[in-house]
Amino acid sequence: MFDRFDIFFVQQLINGFSVGLVYALVAIGFTLIFGVLNVVNFAHGEIYMIGAYAGLLAIIFLAPPWVALLLLVLAAGIAAGIALERAAFKPFRRFRDEASLKSKAMRESTLLSSLAISIVVRETVEKIFGADMQAIPRAYADAMQEPISLGELAIASGQIAILAAAVVMFASLQWILKRTDIGLCIRAVAANPLGAQYVGVHVDRTVIATFAIGSGMGAVAGLLIGLYQGTIFPAMGFAPGVKAFVAMVMGGLNSIPGAVICAIVLGLAEAVATEFFGQGWADLVAYVFLVLTLVFFPTGLFGAGRERV
Amino acid sequence: MTTTRRSLLAATAMVPFAAQHARAQPRRILIGYQLPLTGEFSQYGERFRNSALMALEAFNRAGRLPVPVEIVFEDTRSDPREAVAVARKFVDNREIVAVLGDFSSSASIQAGRVYAEVGMPQLSQTASHPDFVKISPWQFRNITTQAYEGPRVAEWMRENGVRRVAVVAIQNDWGQSVVSNFAEAFRAGGGEVVATQFFNPGNREFRAILTEIARARPDAIYIGMFYEDGAAFLQQRRQLNIRIPVYATSSLYEPKLVELAGAGAEGIFLSTTFMSTSPEPHVRAFVEEYRRRFGSEPNMFSAQAFDAVNILLEAIVRAWPEVTRARVREELAKTRDFPGVTGVTTFDPETREPAKTLARMRIENGQFVLLR
Amino acid sequence: MRGALAPLAVAAVLFAILPMGLSMAGSGYLFRLADVTLIFCILSLSMQLITGVAGLLTLGHAAFYGIGAYTAAILSTRVGLDAGLTIPVAGLVSALFGVLIALPTMRLVSIYFAVATLGLGEMIYVTLLNWVSFTRGPLGIGDIPPLRPFGFDLSSPLGTYFLIAALAVLSLLIVHRIAHSYYGNALRALREDDQCADAMGLPVVRLKIEVFAIATFLAGIAGALWAHTTGYVNPADFRFAESILILAMVVVGGLGSIPGAIVGAALLILLPEALRAIGEVRILAVGLIMFLCILFLPKGLFGEVAALDLVRRQFGAAWRGGSAARPLGWR
Repeated sequence: MFDRFDIFFVQQLINGFSVGLVYALVAIGFTLIFGVLNVVNFAHGEIYMIGAYAGLLAIIFLAPPWVALLLLVLAAGIAAGIALERAAFKPFRRFRDEASLKSKAMRESTLLSSLAISIVVRETVEKIFGADMQAIPRAYADAMQEPISLGELAIASGQIAILAAAVVMFASLQWILKRTDIGLCIRAVAANPLGAQYVGVHVDRTVIATFAIGSGMGAVAGLLIGLYQGTIFPAMGFAPGVKAFVAMVMGGLNSIPGAVICAIVLGLAEAVATEFFGQGWADLVAYVFLVLTLVFFPTGLFGAGRERV
Repeated sequence: MTTTRRSLLAATAMVPFAAQHARAQPRRILIGYQLPLTGEFSQYGERFRNSALMALEAFNRAGRLPVPVEIVFEDTRSDPREAVAVARKFVDNREIVAVLGDFSSSASIQAGRVYAEVGMPQLSQTASHPDFVKISPWQFRNITTQAYEGPRVAEWMRENGVRRVAVVAIQNDWGQSVVSNFAEAFRAGGGEVVATQFFNPGNREFRAILTEIARARPDAIYIGMFYEDGAAFLQQRRQLNIRIPVYATSSLYEPKLVELAGAGAEGIFLSTTFMSTSPEPHVRAFVEEYRRRFGSEPNMFSAQAFDAVNILLEAIVRAWPEVTRARVREELAKTRDFPGVTGVTTFDPETREPAKTLARMRIENGQFVLLR
Repeated sequence: MRGALAPLAVAAVLFAILPMGLSMAGSGYLFRLADVTLIFCILSLSMQLITGVAGLLTLGHAAFYGIGAYTAAILSTRVGLDAGLTIPVAGLVSALFGVLIALPTMRLVSIYFAVATLGLGEMIYVTLLNWVSFTRGPLGIGDIPPLRPFGFDLSSPLGTYFLIAALAVLSLLIVHRIAHSYYGNALRALREDDQCADAMGLPVVRLKIEVFAIATFLAGIAGALWAHTTGYVNPADFRFAESILILAMVVVGGLGSIPGAIVGAALLILLPEALRAIGEVRILAVGLIMFLCILFLPKGLFGEVAALDLVRRQFGAAWRGGSAARPLGWR
């Protein structure tokens, strides 16, 4: 048992940390949108996939430098997010009676409408590009997949890029939320949409801005992770999406730092569980964590302590 | 909106009439092909259909029968609910004399139970589940199973001096048979299996598995997975700087593997029944025709479907003029030394399992190179 | 008047008109579609009870369906039990799991409960897949005998159809009686406001556990029917997508409405089959139709409660206290 705690175990922790960062990248955008609208955006995984495909097309046809590539994907994600908001969320915000508004009326049966949109988007991409994994031009793929040896340990260049992306996204999101006007509006709507409306916040515009920011980040995450893992295919958003969802719930639904911490914990736990039980059972870890968290901390680990409703 | 509604109406109206076609004169011979044309496996179904159309056109052009043969394609997404419904649909159509497919073993088995009950010959190009041909005498497959491939790879490894091996396989029916057949043969030859890992379908993160395997310090890794998972696995092996040689199942023989995995695919060993670079004229003709028509490289799955269709057409020719389901089954069971693009195929009349020859290959400088 | 006519009409359609029509068409395909539709009717009715009537959004219903199917498969292939016994036992085992799972999770509120059921559903799937020595894992269990309960051979298409139809009608009666009784009203009270229901003296948690047990019992029966009619079960048949499919049936049909559950099930099973003519874009079309249904018929086709209201309440509830306790969403 204890002979397992060797250099390979350290390697395993590094692996787990990078998996956790992947989940965290997805969870950031997810949690932002949940925080404002209070609905699960089932199509977030598809935004992530669209980001990867947009980046891939840009690479193939334009071969832009990295900064331009990321900006392009960010723009694609923002556009996709706004379109998604318009199609799946906006139509359900038409109820304006007081009862609806008091109970955060903006989030309606969007759970299922976003699910339906995600089916449509995934099938469309599948029809256009095929269901199989896309080959990535080597110049870009290699930049993210180069091994870097640290003694007996090995990391990939992509892992550093993902760590950097996670830090940048997290920091810029905090900056947007805390230091800009739009961030103030987002926080106001998240806290109390009715109140926000009373004091003159443009709720619709704020929601669109939230989707733009969350989806832009989701799209960039999709491209980076797609390049780093070398796996770009229509259903690529599902697996990390589910794990990000679990992380979000464990973190308490509306806490972005909480979601990030829980995502990393999940990644580490899965890697360590693979070590002891095999990957097949390691998939169980996330769900065991989820259920244990919910049973013992019914509002998540980092959620506000509150009364049972 | 209007078009959707109209086509929907048209579609619902057509269902009851489908059965009436069955009373038409036998001016043609119908074959059913159930395959995934939508959903996560649609890339395989696409290849099957391409190959089937190619084989069928060539056959009808050659005019070997006085009536044309047609194939009815039905999408099942390889989903059991739809696979069984489609099987019922094919059985209902009295014109259909034989069925090809499905893609996944579980869908093939679920549909196979319907075919067994009613008496319809079924030939799957890919169902490698050990139980598939045991359902009834109506089931055939032209893919070699791991019971055949595993021992041969084990022997190959022994020849190369591998004593300790780690096995990684996908957690599905096929992956289970990869591990059990290979491990048994490898142990029987005096080798040691030092680690076995199954991963759940859909998982593309292999670093934890690779690290776990690296600790066991095997002489080689044997991987049983599809090429997309394989590409991710090989890339991540390179990223982790693990230099243990990799042997792979024939399912990794796919030109796209090199594109996807890049330098990661370098040096891996695999065995296969189909080689697109084979010098044999009928294989070259197939590969060139496929490239020309579909603009892509055929892989093991395309070849497998191409042969399945041809084997079935041969059986129909032998059954002519009395082309019934029972006769086609009898003739299928008599398939001997069929010269397909995946090698010479013979069905064992008792077990209805194919026997073929396996070639050994290695990826060198981004190319699949035949060894020996 | 209407009260007597509706059941008669249902019985006439299910036991006379439909089987007669199917037999005349002589089509195994149509029989199979009828069987699958009825099995999914049982599933959607059982989910209707949890989600529509009692207001608990569940995302793991397929797991109970799977437990039922595996129970029937294992009992009939290894123990050799008769289908007349495997079906009720499958229901009981599934209900047992339902209670075990309900005990810790029923105190969770709204969205947290939904997420917990999602997690539990995936746990059951991963267990079925990886516990190879017991469930044969991904190899699945084959050779499940067809329906021959107590020596009556019902393995013919017509016999199978009648048995499934009878069980579907039985489930319909059970769900109908529960939904339209004082008990059902108590459940609706939970759906509308469970704190208020608690204050009025309703045993909230006990009611939730009971209704969960009944619904999972029905789901288990549906699973056993699937196992016996298909003859082979595989863990992949009981994944998250299946839960979502059942949920979509309930929502498209209308939350809380019993005819809605039936129509929803029929629609989502038969639509993809009817759309075979448009071939490869049919899943896309199903997605679009689902979306349009939600957009233009927010109450579902036969809605008792607007789907919107329920979901709003789910998420609203998860939020309310939280936003009061903390000033802003992020820190």
